[in-house]
Amino acid sequence: MLGIPLHIVLPTLIGSLLAGMMCSTMGVFVVRMKLSALGFAMSHAAFAGAALGLLLASVDPLWMAMLFAVAAATILGPLSEMSRLDADSIIGAIFPLMMALGLIFLSFAPSAGVGNGALSLLWGSVLGITMSDVYKLAVLAATLVIVLIGFGKEFLAILLDRKLAAASGINTRVHYYLILFLTAIVVALSLQITGGLLIYTLMILPASAAYQLLYDIKKVFLLAPVLGAASALFGFLLSLIADLPIGSSIAVMSTIIFLVSIVLSPKRRRTRFAAQ
Amino acid sequence: MDSVVRLSAVSAVYEGERTPALHNVSLSADRGQMVAIIGPNGAGKTTLLEVINGLLPITEGEVRVLGEQVTPGSHRLRRQIAYLPQDMFFPPATPFLARDVVLMGRFAGIGPFRAPHHKDRQLAMDALTSVGADALSRRPIGRLSGGQQRKVLLARVIARQPRLLLLDEPLTNLDPDAKGEISRLILSIHRQLGLTTLFVSHESGPLLVASERVVTVVAGRIVPDSVEEPLLVKAA
Repeated sequence: MLGIPLHIVLPTLIGSLLAGMMCSTMGVFVVRMKLSALGFAMSHAAFAGAALGLLLASVDPLWMAMLFAVAAATILGPLSEMSRLDADSIIGAIFPLMMALGLIFLSFAPSAGVGNGALSLLWGSVLGITMSDVYKLAVLAATLVIVLIGFGKEFLAILLDRKLAAASGINTRVHYYLILFLTAIVVALSLQITGGLLIYTLMILPASAAYQLLYDIKKVFLLAPVLGAASALFGFLLSLIADLPIGSSIAVMSTIIFLVSIVLSPKRRRTRFAAQ
Repeated sequence: MDSVVRLSAVSAVYEGERTPALHNVSLSADRGQMVAIIGPNGAGKTTLLEVINGLLPITEGEVRVLGEQVTPGSHRLRRQIAYLPQDMFFPPATPFLARDVVLMGRFAGIGPFRAPHHKDRQLAMDALTSVGADALSRRPIGRLSGGQQRKVLLARVIARQPRLLLLDEPLTNLDPDAKGEISRLILSIHRQLGLTTLFVSHESGPLLVASERVVTVVAGRIVPDSVEEPLLVKAA
């Protein structure tokens, strides 16, 4: 494909599609529950963790990314839940710290400046994905599908209104933390593809586009991963054709999809609702 | 008579606050009773409803509903309690259809890894029909008027088949016609399902007149004697 052997680009293509679908699926939760600040902080925590993994060399950056992302979710979740700290404060406190830590770790990492590993944490890499990474993403995707099927009703009720769900007898706290935990894992595993700086766009924009277009949350859950996969696929192709960082290309494509959804959105029209 | 709700010397404090929102409150409501809770803004009326369904933990005393002690972990018990919070209004972009909002009222009782049964869907549709909102079932909830949204939420109450109904300002932000219609619906649901109903209201009207008891809450305390005084006797 475009001069690069298929066996090299195929893992990245499959990985991008899986990451696109998973990130945008979790984005449906993040957008609706106004957890954007939390997702933002988690993605940068994952970046810092992965950078530390590169520095330590003996530890897989992926595991460190997961550890940092889950730790961020564990610490920030209760803080955000208590609402004593607003979203801007969370970003303000955590984002610069994680970014600074990540860059410090990278500056000391043996591969800093030249290694694909270090730079791919920032911007993503077309060549940075192996079949082993794809298997991990596939296992996570299967787990995500099982969890969504198993607890889909409870998640939907929470997405409608958390207080109403709690009042109806759903243990909202357990499900809330499950959502945060899954988001953290998805962010950490997708980091290599889009990079720590841009993974957030893949999580937020396809889901936001789906929300723009539909009134039925069940359809949003179907459309968001399709748009996420489309962002990833076209971003991947743009990256290959124009020799751009894959994370940036995916971010550009997901932004275009989001802008188109705003133009097409029935929610912007002042007409009476017609049944979909 | 059986007490469906019983509060014994209950105090509650919101996180980060020093002053108790409820202080040494004792109250009971019997099966089938309709109880109005009135009082000035910030008196503790909403808090009273939230400690009854366990959404707000208490610091002292005991709350029992249907004979069971209520705690924040009483998820199973809450399936028997229908609660409509204050200012429950869905903005226009809300991505949920009216029929799904009603059906979701039954989700907690179905359990994980199980899809809603045909019976659940039928109950939801029947509930929408009984409040005259069946034509709205496929409409997005956020595109409905305030009165229509309230109807859908009352259909959700019916679909849940609860034993206790807690309503926080159910008539707020409705036009006069909608207030009358929603009041009649609440009374009809209360009577037909044989519910025990506690509602907070600032409104005079059919709901308050139909209440068997009126409880006045001021500064987190129940005004002495207000519990036992029926409104009609008070008016006389």
